[in-house]
Formats: sequence, structure tokens, C-alpha cells
Amino acid sequence: MTTAPAYAEDAPVLAQERVAQDIYLLTVAARGNGAPGQFYLVRAWDRDPLLSRPLSMYAAAKDSVSFLYQVRGRGTGLLSRCKPGDCLTLLGPLGHGFRLADLRGRVAIVTGGIGIAPMRALAEQLLPQHVTLIAGFRSTPFALGDFEQLGVPVQLATEDGCAGTRGLCTDLFDPGQFDSVAACGPAPMMARVAGMCAAAQVPCQVSLEARMACGVGACLVCACATVQGNRRVCTDGPVFDATEVVWHA
Amino acid sequence: MPETVLCGVHLKNPVIAASGTFGFAAEYGQFFDVGRLGAVCTKGLTLRPRQGNSGVRVWETTGGILNSVGLQNPGIPAFLEQELPRMRTLGTVIIANVGGADQAEFVEGVRLLSDAEGIDIIELNISCPNVERGGATFSATCDSARAVVAAVRPVCHKPLMVKLSPDAEDIAVVARTCEEAGADALSLVNSFRGMAIDIRARRPVFDNVTAGLAGPCIKPIALRMVWEVTHAVHIPVVGIGGISTWEDAAEFLLAGAKAVGVGTATLVRPTAMLDIIDGLERFGAAALAPL
Repeated sequence: MTTAPAYAEDAPVLAQERVAQDIYLLTVAARGNGAPGQFYLVRAWDRDPLLSRPLSMYAAAKDSVSFLYQVRGRGTGLLSRCKPGDCLTLLGPLGHGFRLADLRGRVAIVTGGIGIAPMRALAEQLLPQHVTLIAGFRSTPFALGDFEQLGVPVQLATEDGCAGTRGLCTDLFDPGQFDSVAACGPAPMMARVAGMCAAAQVPCQVSLEARMACGVGACLVCACATVQGNRRVCTDGPVFDATEVVWHA
Repeated sequence: MPETVLCGVHLKNPVIAASGTFGFAAEYGQFFDVGRLGAVCTKGLTLRPRQGNSGVRVWETTGGILNSVGLQNPGIPAFLEQELPRMRTLGTVIIANVGGADQAEFVEGVRLLSDAEGIDIIELNISCPNVERGGATFSATCDSARAVVAAVRPVCHKPLMVKLSPDAEDIAVVARTCEEAGADALSLVNSFRGMAIDIRARRPVFDNVTAGLAGPCIKPIALRMVWEVTHAVHIPVVGIGGISTWEDAAEFLLAGAKAVGVGTATLVRPTAMLDIIDGLERFGAAALAPL
């Protein structure tokens, strides 16, 4: 399901919460008509930096949209300092999200770090199907409570062993136990999940991340290599079938 | 509204969606009426399809963005079949931007576009900074610019606008050379060759090492070049380079440009061109007369 995107320069911030070291949850007043896996271009500034930041939709209600994001640089840093009442510019919902019809049976949601961002809305949408979250973090985990609240069982791995099993999410993931998979995280992690799913013949969808400019398919700066040649992460994706993507070593 | 005529083609206003930032226009049709624009310019087209460049394609700098798309496009035959019919319904002037790896590809590409119904102006892109062969190398020297313009001129039955690179030794001299070789109009500037280095990875950000710099940071230099060129040639000039506001656009028109191209500003704000059109209209045609 994809709805027409809207452009608003006056979307008020409803809430902003720091949920971990450099992770924030931002809620904005907007029509929450996006589908799981879609994203918005967000900005909290005029012309510096020039480009907006693409953020996945974490959750949506009738009159609000939430974004879970990591502060990576100046743009996300500026976003993290927004307070309730500040106005943001939003363009979205954009892109093609998860193909829900193909996420059948027992679904594994496999995430690395901030790759968990598009998955809450997906889990919510998939319920009451059998959904398991297999999440990996470098250190302190975040957002897991929101999944537990939905009744989604969580398997946890941390690289420093501070919580859950020490290691990577891919150490916990056994594709043989699932009928379909949705994954998002660092490219090497998604490549590994894609490889495991291909070997086990389990369908897998991945949500890719890219530096973007227009967000609507016009500028072609967010290309990703696929078996059909370069495609646009913003409009052909961000969710792709894992078998379509050409994973770089 | 200050209307304008660009080599015989009537534009309802002087604001053109510059090549590369506006796709084939349909992408933005969901946000505003593209028919309000003076003209739209297609993404850079080549005879054969191109996959474009690998690696990072965009990088922000202060006041600008570096891009390295590398002329990714479906090829002219696919454009004519799949994109042009939709563009023709937009109700605005269509400019087809054409590039090539060598002179033969330019000639063949221009021939196909020239024969196509519904294209109003052909913009010869001899200034792409992001392709190894062709591109900016044609615009860098007078000899190569003259050769490619003269080669396409006989097969081009539509107004021929030549897009110039700012990375020439003397852009006014290249401009005069293109005029002599048969160009009906000039557009300038394309992006500047720039570079960024990832200091932690200790390597250039772009696989191609260099990339094209555009955005507000180039505006004063672009304006100076447009000024030099409008004073050096008799054919119309389209001014491009970091135009973000109607005041920016007015500066280029006062510098003698017949129309302006807006690129990066659309990436910043999808409706930027509408604000520019409205601002120019309020300012009035008389106030926009060249100095």
C-alpha cells in the first residue's frame, strides 16, 4: 500500500526523547498515512545543511509520525535539538515499503543497530502473525520495549556482551526456523542475512540506506547495484527483495 | 509575468528546471503543477543507456553539494518511447539534454532527438564533469567545442543550446567559439569539478576522485561567468549556478541572461521554482531588464 506523499513546512514537533547514547525518538504532527518501510525527508533548518535527511517511519498514528534515528552528523544533530513546538519540514511518505503479502507464516525481523527503525511499524502491521525480532547492537540496546509491548518475542545480541548474547544478530538467526524474513542494518549484516536466506531458500526483504538528495526518484544520487542494474533506493526501494541486490564484498 | 523567448521558443516565464535535478519531470508532478514552469530540461541523455558511476554519488559541502551520477539514463530510444509522451502532457517547453562519450554518439543522439515530435530545444551537454570520456573535455578547449558543435549542427533541426563547463580557461572564448560553430543559445554553468576526501578512510569520497560541485556556493562565480559571456556573444544565454531565490534569479537576468536554470534549489525545496517565478513576477519585467 502506498499513499501519495505530501510536502509540509510547518509540521510541529510533538515530542523528542533520547532513548540511548545517540539515538532519539522524534514524534511529529502529520498525517500518519505511511506504510511500513516507507520514509520521509526531514529537515529542521533552512539552507544549511542543504539537503534533508531521509528517516524511516518508526510508528504512525492518525495524526502523528515517529522517527527513531541515530545522530550521525550535523543534520541529525540539529534534528536532535528540536523541541516540542518547533516546526519541521516533511516530505513523505516516500518510497516502496515492505511487501506485506510476501511476509507470510513465521516472520523473522533481523536488525543491526539503528536498522531496527523501520521495523516497529512492520511488526505492528504483521500481527497477529508469528513475528520474531532478532536484534543486534554494538552495545546498549534500544527500542526493544516497544516490540515486547506488541507481544513480539525478542532475541538479542550485543557485540560487547552488555545484554543478551555476545555477538552479532546473524549468530542468533537460523533461517530454517522461518518462512520469510525482513532485514535492515549495516550492509555487511544485510549481505550475510541475504546469503543465509538464499541458501535456506527463505524469501527475504531488505531495507537499504543511502545518501539521498531529492527523495522522489529524480536526481539518481541514491543508486544501488541490483541484478537489473542501478536502481533508486528512494523510489524503487528502499525495500528490495534480497535476491535483487548485488552485495559488495 | 516576465515572458521570454529563447531562440524562437516562447517561455511563459524565464524559469527552467535544470538538467539532472528534475528527472523527467513526472517525479515532481505529484507536488506541483509542472506546467507552471517556463521549461523543463531532461536528465542528461545519451544514445546508449548508461548505468552511471559506482560508489558514493552525493556529498554535502558548505553551501553546496558534490555529485557524481555519471549520466545514468535509459538511452535516447527508451526516453523517446517511455518518458517523452508523458512529458508532452505537462504543458511546458521541453528541453532535451544530450551527452555522449564521443562525437559520433553526440551526432547520433542529436539526430534522434531532433526528429522527435514534442522536443522544443536541444541542449548539448559538452560539460558533464563526471564521465571519463566526452563530457567536460569537449567544453574545456575551443578546438574540441568547435568540433562537436559543428558536427551536430547539420543534423539538428531544432534550436541548439550548448551547455558550457565553468572549468574552461576562458569561458567567454569558448562561448564565442560555440556561437561561431552554429549554437543558437548557450547555457552556463554546469557544475565545477570538485573533490572530497574521507579523512578517516584516507581515500577520496568518490570512486571517480572528482565530482561536480553545485549549489549556492557557486553562484557568484557562475554569475560572473554569465556576465562575461552575455557581453561576448550575440545569442541568448541561460544562466545557471546556485540560484536559490528569486533575487538570485533576478541577478542573472540583470546580468543579461534570457532565462535561468534552477537545479540544486529543487533538491532543497521541491517548490523552490514556484517561489522564484512568483518573486520575479512581483518584481516586474521592467526591473528585470539587463543592466
